[in-house]
Amino acid sequence: MIEFIDLYKSFGDKPVLEGVSITVTDSEVFFIVGQSGVGKSVLIKHLVGLLRPDRGQILLDGEDITFLTEKQFYRVRMKCGMVFQHSTLFDSMTILENVALPLRKHKRISTKNAREAAMRRLADVHMEEFAGRYPAEFGDGMRKRVAIARTLMLEPRYVLFDEPTTSLDPISARRVDHLIRELSDRLGVTSIVVSHDLTSIFSIPDRIAMLYKGKVQLLGTQDDFRSTRDPIVQQFINGEAEGPMEI
Amino acid sequence: MTARASRPTLPAPPPLPPPPGFVARLCIGTGEPVVDVFKEVAGIYSVFVRTLYFSFRGRAERGAVLREMYEIGNRSLLFITVVMGFIGMIFVYQGGVQAQRIIPDLTMLGATYLEYLVRALASDIGAMMLATRVGAGIAAAIGSMVVTEQVDALRMCAAEPVDYLVVPRFKASLVMTVVLLIFGGVVACMTGYLTARYAFGQRWDQFFNLTLVRWSDVFIFVIKCVAYGAAIPVVSGYCGLTAYGGSEGVGSATTRAVVNSALAVIILNLVISAAGYIVFG
Repeated sequence: MIEFIDLYKSFGDKPVLEGVSITVTDSEVFFIVGQSGVGKSVLIKHLVGLLRPDRGQILLDGEDITFLTEKQFYRVRMKCGMVFQHSTLFDSMTILENVALPLRKHKRISTKNAREAAMRRLADVHMEEFAGRYPAEFGDGMRKRVAIARTLMLEPRYVLFDEPTTSLDPISARRVDHLIRELSDRLGVTSIVVSHDLTSIFSIPDRIAMLYKGKVQLLGTQDDFRSTRDPIVQQFINGEAEGPMEI
Repeated sequence: MTARASRPTLPAPPPLPPPPGFVARLCIGTGEPVVDVFKEVAGIYSVFVRTLYFSFRGRAERGAVLREMYEIGNRSLLFITVVMGFIGMIFVYQGGVQAQRIIPDLTMLGATYLEYLVRALASDIGAMMLATRVGAGIAAAIGSMVVTEQVDALRMCAAEPVDYLVVPRFKASLVMTVVLLIFGGVVACMTGYLTARYAFGQRWDQFFNLTLVRWSDVFIFVIKCVAYGAAIPVVSGYCGLTAYGGSEGVGSATTRAVVNSALAVIILNLVISAAGYIVFG
């Protein structure tokens, strides 16, 4: 279980999170939605120590991980994988080397064994035939699949997806949605997905939290979001340019 | 006629604080840049300490140092050759012309040029050139990885960014800066000789007069090469790691890397030269 408790974060004099409290239970697909720049990615980066909060607490399976050191966060990062918005594959490495890297670094296993395991993982995302090629040779959809394979190398219990369907064509986007749902249903992986893809928001999540002005505007199921009368949530889910939402 | 309701009276606003005096304004104006400089120095020092630590205790990627040696060394070869070649020609020509005006005797032209070349010219000018080419390259490469979240992805893979990105460049730069600056010195020496020969009719044995070059000069030259080779990747690596804000941030990090690396070279030059003067006289 993941708990964000009364989290505050500012960048310079610009407040981003102002008292966010969210609890994510095991094996659920949890979406965090909201306008661009509202702090969705900032929130999930706190869980793996890529950002540190100004105030508040983060609990992972009951353990307070708020102010662990960089080295102590390594074991948290083995439990919690993250798929970044732009795939973030390393251009100087082949696809296979990219996918093998977390195993080599986290578990310090030999390059040969790591590559064998990476090959199996690439087969899961149907990319094994491209193992020896470089990321620059592929489009966004294939890069995203490799990034997901890299994240799954450590078999994490929690996976954070930062806008996984952004810049993908509709078919690739639905494939990624399907993969996220399948991870939860088949393997019991808990997924936190940052998104503003309305199709994804109303298809795969168990629960959704909408952030607005640094706070949680609404937290509930897909039905709660459909039936709410909150004009700000309504404007967001209907994708209306005019409304009460401040830009 | 009904009486109008009287407006509620608002409380009086608090009095404005008095404007800051001259001393306060001076402190405010100068304080922020001073704090920024201290933060920058502290950040560079932190990267330097971690670089040293991971140089011995890190988990280097196979072939990473060799790749960086090629990037820093081989790819700078033409640039250093051209720059140091021209520097050699310019210094000998200008030196010869000035000497002819004052003492029309050029027998010591080669000796003084070689002394200056070993003491300062080869290492300092060469390092300034490397600070621009290598420093900009390092900051741009690391900075672009930072703004595209590749450095965050590295951290997620338990790869410490300083260990993975700065240490191979540090080790490569230590070796290749020494090699390049010696090579640059040789090039400046040869072009200087050719200029002396064709502009002033100097002979080979006249020009290559090493009587003014002491072993202490050679020792200080090597120390300078090593210090510059260490400083450029650390300063540039720090600038790259602190990049933020997309492609504009990468540009800004690159500019900071060039300026700060050049400053580091100048400051190290002063410190090492002064120490050399105190120790060797």
